[in-house]
Amino acid sequence: MTQGVVIFAFNNERIDYLAMASWSARNIRRHLDLPTCVITDVTDTARTADFDQVVLTEPQQTQQHRYFYDYKASAVWHNINRSSVHDLTPWDHTLVLDADFVVASDQLKLLFNIDQDFIAHRMAYDVTGFSAFQDNNWFGTYKMPMSWATVMCFRRSKKAQLIFDTMQMIRDNWLHYRQLYSVSENTFRNDFALSIAMNIVDGHTLSTPAIPWDLASITANTKLTQLDPDTYKISYVTGDDKPKWIVLKQQDFHAMGKQALGAIVANPC
Amino acid sequence: MWRAGPELLTVLTICPDESAVLLDLYETPVKVDIRELELAAQQRWQEQMNAWLIEHEELNRNR
Repeated sequence: MTQGVVIFAFNNERIDYLAMASWSARNIRRHLDLPTCVITDVTDTARTADFDQVVLTEPQQTQQHRYFYDYKASAVWHNINRSSVHDLTPWDHTLVLDADFVVASDQLKLLFNIDQDFIAHRMAYDVTGFSAFQDNNWFGTYKMPMSWATVMCFRRSKKAQLIFDTMQMIRDNWLHYRQLYSVSENTFRNDFALSIAMNIVDGHTLSTPAIPWDLASITANTKLTQLDPDTYKISYVTGDDKPKWIVLKQQDFHAMGKQALGAIVANPC
Repeated sequence: MWRAGPELLTVLTICPDESAVLLDLYETPVKVDIRELELAAQQRWQEQMNAWLIEHEELNRNR
Protein backbone atom coordinates (compact mmCIF):
# COMPACT_ATOMS: atom_id res chain seq x y z
CA MET A 1 0.00 0.00 0.00
CA THR A 2 1.57 3.30 -1.09
CA GLN A 3 1.77 6.12 1.43
CA GLY A 4 2.40 9.85 1.14
CA VAL A 5 1.51 13.36 2.19
CA VAL A 6 -0.67 15.77 0.21
CA ILE A 7 -0.67 19.56 0.67
CA PHE A 8 -3.02 22.01 -1.06
CA ALA A 9 -1.36 25.29 -2.09
CA PHE A 10 -3.38 27.97 -3.86
CA ASN A 11 -1.83 31.40 -3.40
CA ASN A 12 -3.90 34.53 -2.98
CA GLU A 13 -2.89 38.18 -3.25
CA ARG A 14 -1.42 38.18 0.26
CA ILE A 15 -0.24 34.70 1.17
CA ASP A 16 2.27 32.47 -0.62
CA TYR A 17 0.88 29.08 0.37
CA LEU A 18 3.16 27.30 -2.10
CA ALA A 19 6.27 28.61 -0.31
CA MET A 20 4.82 27.35 2.99
CA ALA A 21 4.03 23.97 1.41
CA SER A 22 7.57 23.64 -0.05
CA TRP A 23 9.13 24.37 3.34
CA SER A 24 6.72 21.88 4.91
CA ALA A 25 7.67 19.23 2.30
CA ARG A 26 11.30 19.51 3.39
CA ASN A 27 10.27 19.08 7.05
CA ILE A 28 8.12 16.09 6.11
CA ARG A 29 11.02 14.41 4.31
CA ARG A 30 13.30 15.03 7.29
CA HIS A 31 10.91 13.72 9.95
CA LEU A 32 8.44 11.36 8.29
CA ASP A 33 10.50 10.09 5.36
CA LEU A 34 7.40 10.08 3.16
CA PRO A 35 6.88 11.33 -0.40
CA THR A 36 4.97 14.59 -0.80
CA CYS A 37 2.48 15.79 -3.38
CA VAL A 38 1.29 19.34 -3.87
CA ILE A 39 -2.10 20.15 -5.38
CA THR A 40 -1.73 23.60 -6.90
CA ASP A 41 -2.34 25.85 -9.89
CA VAL A 42 1.30 27.04 -10.05
CA THR A 43 2.91 25.75 -13.26
CA ASP A 44 6.44 27.02 -12.56
CA THR A 45 8.39 23.76 -12.01
CA ALA A 46 11.18 25.57 -10.14
CA ARG A 47 8.66 26.50 -7.46
CA THR A 48 7.39 22.93 -7.06
CA ALA A 49 10.82 21.21 -7.09
CA ASP A 50 10.57 20.22 -3.40
CA PHE A 51 7.68 17.84 -4.10
CA ASP A 52 7.83 14.27 -5.39
CA GLN A 53 4.57 14.75 -7.27
CA VAL A 54 2.67 17.78 -8.51
CA VAL A 55 -1.04 17.70 -9.33
CA LEU A 56 -2.06 20.73 -11.35
CA THR A 57 -5.64 21.84 -10.97
CA GLU A 58 -7.50 25.11 -11.01
CA PRO A 59 -8.89 26.32 -7.70
CA GLN A 60 -12.65 26.31 -7.57
CA GLN A 61 -13.83 29.77 -8.59
CA THR A 62 -14.92 31.57 -5.48
CA GLN A 63 -15.79 35.01 -4.29
CA GLN A 64 -15.21 33.80 -0.78
CA HIS A 65 -13.10 36.18 1.27
CA ARG A 66 -11.64 35.58 4.68
CA TYR A 67 -10.36 38.16 7.15
CA PHE A 68 -6.76 37.39 8.20
CA TYR A 69 -6.26 38.90 11.68
CA ASP A 70 -2.48 39.13 11.44
CA TYR A 71 -2.62 40.94 8.07
CA LYS A 72 -5.58 43.01 9.26
CA ALA A 73 -7.08 42.55 5.80
CA SER A 74 -9.31 40.25 3.77
CA ALA A 75 -8.16 38.08 0.90
CA VAL A 76 -9.71 35.53 -1.45
CA TRP A 77 -9.68 32.13 0.21
CA HIS A 78 -9.28 29.20 -2.22
CA ASN A 79 -10.14 26.43 0.19
CA ILE A 80 -13.18 24.77 -1.26
CA ASN A 81 -11.81 21.94 -3.39
CA ARG A 82 -10.33 20.02 -0.45
CA SER A 83 -13.00 17.35 -0.83
CA SER A 84 -11.53 16.33 -4.21
CA VAL A 85 -8.41 14.93 -2.54
CA HIS A 86 -9.72 11.34 -2.65
CA ASP A 87 -9.66 11.54 -6.48
CA LEU A 88 -6.46 13.57 -6.76
CA THR A 89 -4.13 11.80 -4.33
CA PRO A 90 -1.53 9.53 -5.97
CA TRP A 91 -1.43 7.24 -2.90
CA ASP A 92 -3.53 4.50 -1.28
CA HIS A 93 -2.95 5.83 2.25
CA THR A 94 -2.78 9.61 2.37
CA LEU A 95 -2.03 12.18 5.00
CA VAL A 96 -3.49 15.58 4.07
CA LEU A 97 -1.89 18.56 5.80
CA ASP A 98 -2.68 22.24 5.67
CA ALA A 99 0.20 24.29 4.24
CA ASP A 100 0.39 26.11 7.58
CA PHE A 101 0.77 22.92 9.63
CA VAL A 102 4.34 22.71 10.94
CA VAL A 103 5.91 19.24 11.11
CA ALA A 104 8.63 19.24 13.78
CA SER A 105 8.59 15.58 14.88
CA ASP A 106 7.85 12.08 13.58
CA GLN A 107 4.56 11.80 15.52
CA LEU A 108 2.39 11.83 12.38
CA LYS A 109 3.95 8.52 11.27
CA LEU A 110 1.79 6.84 13.91
CA LEU A 111 -1.33 7.72 11.91
CA PHE A 112 -0.42 5.16 9.28
CA ASN A 113 -0.52 2.41 11.94
CA ILE A 114 -4.10 3.18 12.95
CA ASP A 115 -6.60 0.74 11.53
CA GLN A 116 -9.20 3.31 10.42
CA ASP A 117 -10.27 4.41 6.93
CA PHE A 118 -10.49 8.06 7.91
CA ILE A 119 -9.33 10.03 10.93
CA ALA A 120 -8.94 13.71 11.77
CA HIS A 121 -8.45 15.76 14.92
CA ARG A 122 -11.51 16.16 17.12
CA MET A 123 -10.05 18.71 19.54
CA ALA A 124 -7.60 21.58 19.15
CA TYR A 125 -5.97 23.70 21.85
CA ASP A 126 -4.02 26.91 22.11
CA VAL A 127 -0.44 26.02 23.17
CA THR A 128 -0.17 29.20 25.27
CA GLY A 129 -3.26 28.14 27.22
CA PHE A 130 -4.21 31.79 27.17
CA SER A 131 -7.03 32.27 24.70
CA ALA A 132 -10.52 30.86 25.20
CA PHE A 133 -9.85 28.39 22.40
CA GLN A 134 -12.43 25.84 23.51
CA ASP A 135 -15.13 27.74 21.60
CA ASN A 136 -13.38 26.65 18.38
CA ASN A 137 -14.02 22.99 19.15
CA TRP A 138 -17.76 23.40 18.65
CA PHE A 139 -19.74 25.43 16.14
CA GLY A 140 -23.27 26.69 15.55
CA THR A 141 -26.03 27.42 18.02
CA TYR A 142 -26.41 23.72 18.86
CA LYS A 143 -22.69 23.21 19.59
CA MET A 144 -21.89 20.69 16.88
CA PRO A 145 -18.51 19.07 17.73
CA MET A 146 -15.78 20.20 15.33
CA SER A 147 -13.57 17.83 13.36
CA TRP A 148 -10.50 19.70 12.11
CA ALA A 149 -9.56 19.36 8.43
CA THR A 150 -6.00 20.58 9.18
CA VAL A 151 -4.70 17.00 9.46
CA MET A 152 -6.63 14.17 7.80
CA CYS A 153 -5.38 10.63 7.26
CA PHE A 154 -7.38 8.32 5.01
CA ARG A 155 -7.12 5.08 3.09
CA ARG A 156 -8.57 4.90 -0.41
CA SER A 157 -11.83 3.26 0.64
CA LYS A 158 -15.56 3.43 0.39
CA LYS A 159 -15.86 5.21 3.73
CA ALA A 160 -13.31 7.91 2.82
CA GLN A 161 -15.02 8.38 -0.56
CA LEU A 162 -18.37 8.76 1.22
CA ILE A 163 -16.98 11.36 3.61
CA PHE A 164 -15.46 13.42 0.79
CA ASP A 165 -18.60 13.11 -1.36
CA THR A 166 -20.68 14.25 1.60
CA MET A 167 -18.32 17.21 2.17
CA GLN A 168 -18.87 18.15 -1.46
CA MET A 169 -22.65 17.89 -1.05
CA ILE A 170 -22.47 20.14 2.04
CA ARG A 171 -20.27 22.64 0.20
CA ASP A 172 -22.65 22.72 -2.79
CA ASN A 173 -25.63 23.27 -0.48
CA TRP A 174 -23.87 25.34 2.17
CA LEU A 175 -26.77 27.76 2.68
CA HIS A 176 -29.03 24.86 3.68
CA TYR A 177 -26.48 23.27 6.06
CA ARG A 178 -25.54 26.65 7.49
CA GLN A 179 -29.17 27.19 8.44
CA LEU A 180 -29.64 23.60 9.64
CA TYR A 181 -26.69 23.80 12.05
CA SER A 182 -27.36 27.51 12.74
CA VAL A 183 -23.84 28.65 11.88
CA SER A 184 -23.46 32.41 12.20
CA GLU A 185 -20.19 32.68 10.23
CA ASN A 186 -20.64 33.57 6.55
CA THR A 187 -17.46 31.90 5.37
CA PHE A 188 -17.58 28.25 4.33
CA ARG A 189 -14.97 26.23 6.19
CA ASN A 190 -13.73 22.74 5.41
CA ASP A 191 -13.78 22.09 9.15
CA PHE A 192 -17.55 22.62 9.21
CA ALA A 193 -18.12 20.43 6.16
CA LEU A 194 -15.86 17.69 7.51
CA SER A 195 -17.54 17.70 10.93
CA ILE A 196 -21.02 17.44 9.43
CA ALA A 197 -19.92 14.86 6.82
CA MET A 198 -18.19 12.55 9.31
CA ASN A 199 -21.22 12.62 11.55
CA ILE A 200 -23.62 11.88 8.67
CA VAL A 201 -21.47 8.96 7.46
CA ASP A 202 -21.29 7.60 11.03
CA GLY A 203 -25.09 7.66 11.28
CA HIS A 204 -25.43 10.85 13.36
CA THR A 205 -23.98 9.08 16.39
CA LEU A 206 -21.40 11.78 17.26
CA SER A 207 -18.87 8.99 17.70
CA THR A 208 -16.53 9.55 14.78
CA PRO A 209 -13.01 8.09 15.19
CA ALA A 210 -10.43 10.77 15.89
CA ILE A 211 -6.66 11.15 16.04
CA PRO A 212 -5.72 10.08 19.57
CA TRP A 213 -4.08 13.39 20.51
CA ASP A 214 -5.24 17.00 20.21
CA LEU A 215 -4.20 19.54 17.60
CA ALA A 216 -1.66 22.03 18.99
CA SER A 217 -2.48 25.50 17.64
CA ILE A 218 -0.77 28.87 17.68
CA THR A 219 -3.20 31.74 17.23
CA ALA A 220 -2.63 34.77 15.01
CA ASN A 221 -2.37 37.18 17.94
CA THR A 222 0.94 35.72 19.15
CA LYS A 223 4.45 36.26 17.79
CA LEU A 224 6.01 33.13 16.35
CA THR A 225 9.78 32.88 15.76
CA GLN A 226 12.06 29.97 14.91
CA LEU A 227 15.04 29.28 17.19
CA ASP A 228 16.42 26.21 15.42
CA PRO A 229 14.96 23.89 12.73
CA ASP A 230 12.57 22.23 15.21
CA THR A 231 12.32 24.75 18.03
CA TYR A 232 9.92 27.69 18.03
CA LYS A 233 9.32 30.55 20.43
CA ILE A 234 5.81 31.92 20.94
CA SER A 235 5.56 35.35 22.56
CA TYR A 236 2.27 36.76 23.70
CA VAL A 237 0.74 39.31 26.02
CA THR A 238 -1.70 38.31 28.74
CA GLY A 239 -4.97 40.09 29.51
CA ASP A 240 -3.24 42.18 32.18
CA ASP A 241 -0.54 43.25 29.67
CA LYS A 242 2.21 40.95 30.94
CA PRO A 243 4.59 39.75 28.20
CA LYS A 244 5.16 35.99 28.25
CA TRP A 245 6.76 33.38 26.03
CA ILE A 246 6.99 29.64 25.69
CA VAL A 247 9.26 27.39 23.63
CA LEU A 248 8.03 24.42 21.60
CA LYS A 249 10.64 21.80 20.82
CA GLN A 250 9.93 18.92 18.42
CA GLN A 251 6.19 19.57 18.64
CA ASP A 252 4.01 19.64 15.53
CA PHE A 253 1.55 22.55 15.46
CA HIS A 254 -0.97 24.49 13.39
CA ALA A 255 0.29 28.04 12.79
CA MET A 256 -2.84 30.15 12.44
CA GLY A 257 -0.88 33.38 11.91
CA LYS A 258 0.19 33.19 8.27
CA GLN A 259 2.33 36.34 8.37
CA ALA A 260 4.72 35.02 11.06
CA LEU A 261 4.96 31.62 9.35
CA GLY A 262 5.59 33.35 6.02
CA ALA A 263 8.54 35.21 7.57
CA ILE A 264 9.99 31.94 8.94
CA VAL A 265 9.58 30.23 5.58
CA ALA A 266 11.34 33.14 3.85
CA ASN A 267 14.31 32.93 6.27
CA PRO A 268 14.40 29.46 7.85
CA CYS A 269 17.06 28.41 10.40
CA MET B 1 -3.62 1.37 18.74
CA TRP B 2 -3.55 1.78 22.51
CA ARG B 3 -2.55 4.60 24.82
CA ALA B 4 0.28 3.41 27.08
CA GLY B 5 -0.40 4.21 30.73
CA PRO B 6 -1.14 2.73 34.14
CA GLU B 7 -4.60 1.47 33.11
CA LEU B 8 -3.36 -0.51 30.10
CA LEU B 9 -0.32 -1.77 32.02
CA THR B 10 -2.53 -3.01 34.86
CA VAL B 11 -4.80 -4.90 32.49
CA LEU B 12 -1.80 -6.48 30.78
CA THR B 13 -0.19 -7.42 34.11
CA ILE B 14 -3.25 -9.27 35.40
CA CYS B 15 -3.84 -11.20 32.15
CA PRO B 16 -2.85 -14.80 32.93
CA ASP B 17 -2.57 -16.01 29.33
CA GLU B 18 -0.12 -15.29 26.52
CA SER B 19 -2.82 -13.81 24.34
CA ALA B 20 -6.09 -11.99 24.94
CA VAL B 21 -8.66 -9.85 23.17
CA LEU B 22 -8.51 -6.16 24.14
CA LEU B 23 -10.49 -3.15 22.93
CA ASP B 24 -8.25 -0.61 21.20
CA LEU B 25 -8.66 3.20 21.28
CA TYR B 26 -11.47 2.91 18.73
CA GLU B 27 -13.27 0.19 20.68
CA THR B 28 -12.32 -2.42 18.13
CA PRO B 29 -11.60 -5.86 19.65
CA VAL B 30 -8.06 -6.96 18.75
CA LYS B 31 -6.32 -10.23 19.63
CA VAL B 32 -2.90 -9.38 21.05
CA ASP B 33 0.24 -11.05 22.34
CA ILE B 34 0.04 -9.90 25.97
CA ARG B 35 3.77 -10.00 26.77
CA GLU B 36 4.76 -8.19 23.56
CA LEU B 37 2.21 -5.41 24.15
CA GLU B 38 3.14 -5.19 27.83
CA LEU B 39 6.81 -4.70 26.97
CA ALA B 40 6.05 -2.07 24.29
CA ALA B 41 3.59 -0.21 26.55
CA GLN B 42 6.00 -0.24 29.50
CA GLN B 43 8.82 1.12 27.33
CA ARG B 44 6.72 3.89 25.73
CA TRP B 45 5.23 4.93 29.06
CA GLN B 46 8.63 5.07 30.77
CA GLU B 47 10.15 7.01 27.84
CA GLN B 48 7.47 9.67 28.21
CA MET B 49 7.64 9.75 32.01
CA ASN B 50 11.44 10.11 31.92
CA ALA B 51 11.19 12.92 29.34
CA TRP B 52 8.56 14.62 31.50
CA LEU B 53 10.76 14.31 34.62
CA ILE B 54 13.75 15.84 32.82
CA GLU B 55 11.62 18.71 31.50
CA HIS B 56 10.07 19.26 34.93
CA GLU B 57 13.47 19.40 36.67
CA GLU B 58 14.79 21.76 34.01
CA LEU B 59 11.82 24.10 34.52
CA ASN B 60 12.26 23.99 38.30
CA ARG B 61 15.93 24.95 37.92
CA ASN B 62 15.00 27.87 35.64
CA ARG B 63 12.39 29.12 38.10
